[in-house]
Amino acid sequence: MVNWKYSESIESSEIVNIKKKYQNYIGGKFVDPSSKKYLNTVSPSTEEILSKIPLSNQKDIDSAVKAAKTGFEKWSSITPQERSQYLFKIARLIQERSREFAVLESIDGGKPIKESRDFDLPQVAANFFYFAGWADKLDISWSAKELKPYGVVGQIIPWNFPLLMLAWKIAPALATGNTVVLKPAETTSLTALHFAELCHDAGLPAGVVNIVSGDGSTGANIVNHKDINKIAFTGSTHVGKLIQKSLAGRDVGLTLELGGKAANIVYEDAAIDQAVEGVVNGIFFNQGHVCCAGSRLLLQESIHDQFIKKLEKRMQTLRVGNPLDKNTDIGAINSKEQLDKITSLVNEGVSDGGDLFQIECELPGNGFWFRPSLFTNVQPSYSIAREEIFGPVLTTLTFRTPEEAIEIANNTEYGLSAGVWTEKGSKILWTADRLEAGVVWANTFNKFDPSSPFGGYKESGFGREGGRHGLLSYLKASL
Amino acid sequence: MIEIKKTYKNYVDGKYVRSESGKTYSVKLGNEHFELPLTSRKDIRDAVVSSKSGFKKWNSTSPYTRTQILYRLSEMLEGNRKSYLSILQNSSFTKKYAEKDFENSIQKIIWFAGLADKWEQLVGNLNPVSGEYFNISHQNPIGVVFSLNKNTISLSQLILSILPPLTVGCSVISLSNDSGLLALKFAEDINNSDLPPGVLNILSGDFTKLIDDVSKHVEISLVSIHDNLSQEAIKKIEVNASESVKRVKINPSTEGISSILPYLETKTVWHPKGT
Repeated sequence: MVNWKYSESIESSEIVNIKKKYQNYIGGKFVDPSSKKYLNTVSPSTEEILSKIPLSNQKDIDSAVKAAKTGFEKWSSITPQERSQYLFKIARLIQERSREFAVLESIDGGKPIKESRDFDLPQVAANFFYFAGWADKLDISWSAKELKPYGVVGQIIPWNFPLLMLAWKIAPALATGNTVVLKPAETTSLTALHFAELCHDAGLPAGVVNIVSGDGSTGANIVNHKDINKIAFTGSTHVGKLIQKSLAGRDVGLTLELGGKAANIVYEDAAIDQAVEGVVNGIFFNQGHVCCAGSRLLLQESIHDQFIKKLEKRMQTLRVGNPLDKNTDIGAINSKEQLDKITSLVNEGVSDGGDLFQIECELPGNGFWFRPSLFTNVQPSYSIAREEIFGPVLTTLTFRTPEEAIEIANNTEYGLSAGVWTEKGSKILWTADRLEAGVVWANTFNKFDPSSPFGGYKESGFGREGGRHGLLSYLKASL
Repeated sequence: MIEIKKTYKNYVDGKYVRSESGKTYSVKLGNEHFELPLTSRKDIRDAVVSSKSGFKKWNSTSPYTRTQILYRLSEMLEGNRKSYLSILQNSSFTKKYAEKDFENSIQKIIWFAGLADKWEQLVGNLNPVSGEYFNISHQNPIGVVFSLNKNTISLSQLILSILPPLTVGCSVISLSNDSGLLALKFAEDINNSDLPPGVLNILSGDFTKLIDDVSKHVEISLVSIHDNLSQEAIKKIEVNASESVKRVKINPSTEGISSILPYLETKTVWHPKGT
């Protein structure tokens, strides 16, 4: 046997200048929070305190919304062509500072540099490019008598793809003529606060983009603000429901992109090796911190043993460790809180009676880590088969017939995404038609593109992000 | 000769049924009083069970067949023109108004009938993703829709509160109050058309007493309100809806493509290209 000696390849962090303390970006100015309070932001791979970010209060949100209202007047008074050109300019600036943002994303959020560098940042730029071109073509986007922006949009985003979720929110909102108050997640605010500098450098009119950091209370202040015209939220189904409840009886637009528990169906006639790769990518991409992760593996009974054997072998090759190491496949779990949640659900799975396989690997001494895990011998009633774990944990269920696969796949309150693996075209189409999910990946998984609409059925939320359909999330239409 | 008065009943799962509560409410038509079923919580639940099976049948009916069934509905109505005009005129409308309302109703049914086999071409599209993938966004009907009819007596308004979700393959539970008699008359033509049982259930009653039963029911995917409700009632519906991320539409558009958008879920399917 060849003894491969491992040599690490660490991406330099010198390209990023992390400040000791950050300010909010409101009305085109960098300002201290009126709360005078700050939150520590920690690197999940080292537990080192990286910086302090504003813990914004009601007053800060008041001034951000006010600035966005003023910004809306200015943004509405310029031509669609000019709005388009600002977005193109931002897209270019992102490309130019791409490496800096990628490194910062990996330091602050814990994701492997190969993902932040090769997936997140290229997608961020692509989203701004894509929506830039829509800004002056809204009149031909849908057969509409009139398409109007909402006005001031409050946007609250999660910690799993910090800058990409910002792009998914800000690019379409601006292209459709809205202005925004955006709150990044409290554990991953740094790239958003650096993005504010980029808006400033692009000469974006004051108040068009306002970025305000904080915790859940800050988010609630945005949702409950009387001058907000629309809320766009990505995060847990639990918080999504609270937001929908808070907006009850108010004339405020809402789109929600919430949790998921995607079925990844592998039929016996699938290309097995490709399916193993797809299943690994489906659940272990971004440490499994993905709302559309393929977290329920549905295997046709006849291939169960063979597939699990190959899957375990492939999992064992995953490299867990320093997010800045270019060889790393699985980075750090985003926070202590999330690690505790994953640990507790996995413990529950074991005590319920599931068989747990975890890869053998060394974990760094500091930071938050979890070994890639696979459950077999699971009953559909177990928590690990029903609840969103949001970590590198895959749960296996089996089925005998295609009808049974659909039954199991749809037997969840979620409906964000699903996967299907078979070499038979008619079976793909039959299955895709019956899956209650907003995105279906056939013989692939976790593919994204700014032109491709994304969003859920059922309790995974409503509204779409991306593509021509994504425009409707930010336009009031009388068609 | 004694004039024979009709007993109006709810229309659920292809059958005419009284409210299980045994309760009725009275509406006046001309010089006559009619007792209409006062729909109860149990009636709503029965209608949902029926609508779930209706949805499966309707959603698997081909667009071409759906178009023909909806067109046939206009033929059924036309055959009963006189009865509708009489109900409208006895509800104190002029002959001219009644004729216009009826004519509108026929036109709207035919418009939506012709949309049933086209809407997917208008609201779906291929997405030009970067990379070797086939990527298409198309739509599925959202499921069981509850639709509260406007509280004015109008056949065309009733039809516009039902047809948009029906056209795209949803099943519909329609509730009317003051216009209950007209709605239950309409149910007779639904029964004579070829709509499978459960696709459209028609009820009469007081929505304000059914708010929780409707908006908390997890098997109803969307609640559309075509009536002017109090702010308090709307808030109650929306608070209840948030428990299951239920969609709520207040006075949704009934014209053009925007009339069907609320009842659709966009599904995007990816597949790699290769040899």
